[in-house]
Amino acid sequence: MPEIRVTPLGAGQDVGRSCILVSIGGKNVMLDCGMHMGFNDDRRFPDFSYITRNGRLTDFLDCVIISHFHLDHCGALPYFSEMVGYDGPIYMTHPTQAICPILLEDYRKIAVDKKGEANFFTSQMIKDCMKKVVAVHLHQTVQVDDELEIKAYYAGHVLGAAMFQIKVGSESVVYTGDYNMTPDRHLGAAWIDKCRPNLLITESTYATTIRDSKRCRERDFLKKVHEAVERGGKVLIPVFALGRAQELCILLETFWERMNLKAPIYFSTGLTEKANHYYKLFITWTNQKIRKTFVQRNMFEFKHIKAFDRAFADNPGPMVVFATPGMLHAGQSLQIFRKWAGNEKNMVIMPGYCVQGTVGHKILSGQRKLEMEGRQVLEVKMQVEYMSFSAHADAKGIMQLVGQAEPENVLLVHGEAKKMEFLKQKIEQEFRVNCYMPANGETVTLPTSPSIPVGISLGLLKREMAQGLLPDAKKPRLLHGTLIMKDSNFRLVSSEQALKELGLAEHQLRFTCRVHLHDPRKEQETALRVYSHLKSVLKDHCVQHLPDGSVTVESILIQAAAHSEDPGTKVLLVSWTYQDEELGSYLTSLLKKGLPQGAT
Amino acid sequence: MDPECSQLLPALCAVLADPRQPVADDTCLEKLLDWFKTIADAGSSLLLLQENPCLVTLLCPVLKPQDLSPRVLAFLLRLAGILAAQEDCFQHLQQGDLLPRLFGEAGPLGGAAWTAPTVRSGWIQGLCSLTQHPSALCFLAHSGAVDTIFSLQGDSSLFVASAAGQLLVHILGLSMQAPAEGHPSLQPAHWPACAQKIVGHIEESLRATATPQVTQALNVLTTMFSHCHDPWTQVLWVHLSPLVACLLEKDPVPAAHSLVDLLLSVARSPVLSSSSCGLWDTLAQTLSRLRASQAGPLALGILKLQECPKALRAQAFAVLLQPLTCVLEATTQAPGLPGSSGPGLQCGVAAIGPVASSEACAGRGGDPTDGELPLAWPPGSVGGTADAPLTAGMLLPSKAACVGLLCQTLAHLELLQPLPQRPSPWPWAPLLSAAVTILRLCNGSATPTSDTGTHLCAFLAGCVRVQRAALDFLGTLSQGTGPQELVTQVFAILLEYLTSPDSSPTVLKKAFQATLQWLQSSPKPSGGGDLEPHAQLFLRELLPVLPKRLCSPCWDVRDSGLEFLTQTVRRWGGQAGFRHALLASEVPELTEQLLRDPESYVRASAVAAMGQLSSRGLHIIPASPGHPGAQQKSLLEELLHILSTDSEGFPRRAVMQVFTQWLRDSHADVAADTEHFVARVLRVASQDLDWEVRAQGLELALVFLEQTLGQPSSSCPYAMTPPAAAPPSLVAQALQPFCRVQLFDFAFRALFDCDRPVAQKSCDLLLFLRAKTASYSDQQGSSSGPDVASLEAALQRWQAGDQGQPLGDLEPEAVVAVLRSLDLEGLRGALAESSDHAEQSPLSLLQDMLATAGILGENEADCY
Repeated sequence: MPEIRVTPLGAGQDVGRSCILVSIGGKNVMLDCGMHMGFNDDRRFPDFSYITRNGRLTDFLDCVIISHFHLDHCGALPYFSEMVGYDGPIYMTHPTQAICPILLEDYRKIAVDKKGEANFFTSQMIKDCMKKVVAVHLHQTVQVDDELEIKAYYAGHVLGAAMFQIKVGSESVVYTGDYNMTPDRHLGAAWIDKCRPNLLITESTYATTIRDSKRCRERDFLKKVHEAVERGGKVLIPVFALGRAQELCILLETFWERMNLKAPIYFSTGLTEKANHYYKLFITWTNQKIRKTFVQRNMFEFKHIKAFDRAFADNPGPMVVFATPGMLHAGQSLQIFRKWAGNEKNMVIMPGYCVQGTVGHKILSGQRKLEMEGRQVLEVKMQVEYMSFSAHADAKGIMQLVGQAEPENVLLVHGEAKKMEFLKQKIEQEFRVNCYMPANGETVTLPTSPSIPVGISLGLLKREMAQGLLPDAKKPRLLHGTLIMKDSNFRLVSSEQALKELGLAEHQLRFTCRVHLHDPRKEQETALRVYSHLKSVLKDHCVQHLPDGSVTVESILIQAAAHSEDPGTKVLLVSWTYQDEELGSYLTSLLKKGLPQGAT
Repeated sequence: MDPECSQLLPALCAVLADPRQPVADDTCLEKLLDWFKTIADAGSSLLLLQENPCLVTLLCPVLKPQDLSPRVLAFLLRLAGILAAQEDCFQHLQQGDLLPRLFGEAGPLGGAAWTAPTVRSGWIQGLCSLTQHPSALCFLAHSGAVDTIFSLQGDSSLFVASAAGQLLVHILGLSMQAPAEGHPSLQPAHWPACAQKIVGHIEESLRATATPQVTQALNVLTTMFSHCHDPWTQVLWVHLSPLVACLLEKDPVPAAHSLVDLLLSVARSPVLSSSSCGLWDTLAQTLSRLRASQAGPLALGILKLQECPKALRAQAFAVLLQPLTCVLEATTQAPGLPGSSGPGLQCGVAAIGPVASSEACAGRGGDPTDGELPLAWPPGSVGGTADAPLTAGMLLPSKAACVGLLCQTLAHLELLQPLPQRPSPWPWAPLLSAAVTILRLCNGSATPTSDTGTHLCAFLAGCVRVQRAALDFLGTLSQGTGPQELVTQVFAILLEYLTSPDSSPTVLKKAFQATLQWLQSSPKPSGGGDLEPHAQLFLRELLPVLPKRLCSPCWDVRDSGLEFLTQTVRRWGGQAGFRHALLASEVPELTEQLLRDPESYVRASAVAAMGQLSSRGLHIIPASPGHPGAQQKSLLEELLHILSTDSEGFPRRAVMQVFTQWLRDSHADVAADTEHFVARVLRVASQDLDWEVRAQGLELALVFLEQTLGQPSSSCPYAMTPPAAAPPSLVAQALQPFCRVQLFDFAFRALFDCDRPVAQKSCDLLLFLRAKTASYSDQQGSSSGPDVASLEAALQRWQAGDQGQPLGDLEPEAVVAVLRSLDLEGLRGALAESSDHAEQSPLSLLQDMLATAGILGENEADCY
């Protein structure tokens, strides 16, 4: 019995380190290859030894698919391909291919910067890894090999994020990656067609949440920044190089323009330029509004946001600075934080989650006295704000997507167990499908219907074409033929060809129907009356009265017999072959109406 | 334990024991366990418990597992295991009857919490930690835990199942340690009860009809033979090997992959190597029983063994070569197939494997069990001589199987070739022929006429996977020698791939790599100097192809082309033939254009290539007689422009590497005015936002220092090292150039850079300088003066995080004085620690966990 097997190595009842193994139709696919930023040792990567024990990685895995550029989805990729030794194809969308190396490089630099980690992937490894990438377009069906095909769908979430359909024969799995079902300031909403996969693997970050309007969060954010700037304070927004940063930049840029504000906004490390370049390049991936206004004004060409210079941090007066990295765990953002932390007029806004072991985590948990290097204590007097701008589908959105795709089964990943449990029940109740939520390392096995390929004979196809109907993928139509199995292969052929190939003779099949006629005359006379009546009605057909008293119309035979119990009634036995089914039915209905009185 | 941590621990234990206070970050508990493990490893766990009674209190809630979250429960099980690893602490916990309640029936086992894999995993890991002493074994025996471990081998979680297998091995090893004094009993029936039970379970599993059970048993044995090399393992193998051999009688052989792993782990075990224990027969039998794809890894494993009977090696090599033999057999039937007339193929497939001896060519084979391996034809690898003649149909039943098997074989041979224990002599020529043939089948240039050949052609045409594997293997084969005709074919097929518009970017990259390997291994002609004529001809043919690749719309192709160019120029840039061909091509011009490529990776590679071309004097387009060297100057300007303006780090870093190399090599352009060059580069590099560029700037500064002052331990007669008793004026003179290029401003500022590697580099540089000027400092007692004061003030500002203005002109004397006053060793020590060591410390972890407990829900994990 064919089956689909799914084993999360990461993201099973867990957020971080997404890595899901799927076996479908004898093919093995790895969905995402993320890292966990909460660890500094090998635990940051998924435990690939569970794959390597199956033999050589490149032999075992048919491909790796990356859903989007966030590090919890792609951070382990160079390690996996250049250090563990995977040498096969890696699929991702064009924007992800462009942005992924920037974030990987950023991450590498931070890791090396922080600790001087020697046993870490290098820039060259990131580049070599990216050379194994095959970029795909949305809705383009890509053949990984003769049997395995994949197709990307728009997922919102971040630029280039995609859901992937993986198909082998008639079996298919859809993996959503992270997605967003409501459009945001620069991206559209996720969409998938009614592809009815055997299994939908969906993220469930906000499995129990109905998120408040993003507008409210944006308003809050702007209000807080504005207030801080108005009172002459400096605002630090730690971000990762690309992604959420751009959304916040658009937000501030528009607000600054509208309010005619003068305080400078800076973006550290010169990444705005790069980001602009990619947002311009992949304008088709952004939402409709941005695309429409692009002709008049490029949303990503910021008038108010300038490149940051390290010396600017000491400048007097208010300012807003976007600085990397996003969790205040090294580099520029941490340096600025240290400088500004002591002034209560200043503010730091954390726009995302921070793992333990970072300054970001500390201040978000309310700690205000931080031990720094050399036992120095840094007192945090600046205002600390947390605002999640992450773009995930909430419970309503997840249900909406399940409704759109109409899967046979659902599997939840990228979420917390307790919340998943709630959503699982909801999905099972509403959609009457099985819903699974495996933990990391647990395998879910789904039996599927066997897929049997059937060849079609040229003769049959030609005959179909001769009817003048051209094939149309959108309007499937029925094709009649005979299914034969020969040499373990199935073929659909015409019945004549089937008989010929199989060396069989055709069986004659006749249908017989009894029609009761009220006629006290003898059987021969009744037959003659039937003959006369049919002769007059069926002028185009060959109607004959045979010497034995029976009547024929083409292949249809009509015989009259006396009724065993009622001598005033005659029984007409009408019999025909299945080729003359139409005429036979007509005759029967005609005779059932009775014979005209005048008929002799 | 740190007193501060000890103080916080009770509060944390209270939080953990409170089900209403879940822990926010799932990494915290892991890190907490790491910390407890470190403490337990360093001292007494009993003392730890006695000093921190809250830990015992913490373990008690496990008695009501339904109240706890699975991850806290798993944490407690693991913690108990870590603490109970020491026997006295184990006894202490036993007295409180805590352990049976944690790991026995009364605990989470069998309850609702048991459905969570994390709890089962915690249970196993806890037991694994505590099973370190005889008391633990008694505990396991009485608690019935071993039976639970047996059942967990088939757990739905890979992690749990795998850990259960490992735990069984651990318990078996420990229980056998006690009676191990002296020789182990030859009968496992006399082994300790716990060991007997486990061995009995393994036996039962090996006899099972269900494959998963067999797999579990084989995996446990594999782990055991891989990690435990005590004498009793030999007894165990003797005892179990008949059961293992029985598996080979089944059709199909169950759990083939695990069986291969087991047999190889047994074969590698030093305990078993002295005695065959029937192992070699089992291996030989397994080789012949398994399908080609299953037998390949076994064959490779056998050939990697240090000691092994020759006959078995011969058989294994034949199995490994089977697919290639099959390919050649199928294709050589086709008249006109390239390579079929080559010397390596004159006897067709018979030439592969055991090298073309006349006996092998005749296909007679002989007895593989005697004589040297390469002279014997393995039965079954060539049609006609073996009991079960091999047909292409058997090996290549479908496209997927054919592709998979060929890739696997090529990868195995690639792994085997560099090993000293590879079969000898290594059949270079036939392997080369096979690799070339496969590549020809893949690109459609082979035209076979036989059915099998046609089949293969259809399977392999355009198959990127096989192309990649074959090119990798072909590259590795460059290490050996082959007949000239075959080498010609190798270069021809490589050129075809490099030229073909159908070659995918990944294939092209591999083709470039293989080409480089072949070029590098080309023998130098006897006269020395230039390239071997053959390779020279090839390069001449390749150079017109390269521009097309440099103009490819795919960035990765352009980049691979540039990387190839850089390597070739580095290697043959000095050879006349190559220089002539290169200068006659469009390559230098195109490379220069790629400095402005939209893709930063390509720009960086173009910078490296141009740097190399320039070093070799190869990018000069003949300049007008009036302006010699005009082109070189413009390149320097162009690279400086990239360094100051490129928006991305890769090209800027590449420029710094080129400049540093130029400085090291005394590139003509640099040597013309080194000081001016260094000053310009440092001015730009010191302002760079990318810390790697700044660090490279310091590297360049260090090279400049070394060149000026001499290596730390060198005795270069030309270096301007101030002698031990040098008069101050000489030292000042020696340091004057560094002041002029503003090196000190950069280095002192970098000492407090927010990016640690920059500060470390600067620290190293200043320490080097201090060592060089030490003698002078000793003589100069004074460390005062206006310059010194302003420099020290600036250093304090920088340390405080202020950027401030440049220092302006510095006097060497002030520099020397400040160098002496700075605690550079202390700074270096501080910098050696991770920049987040404070946040990653145990105290910080405890503080974070306590701080988070109150605010959970507001700040949930979503994504990064």
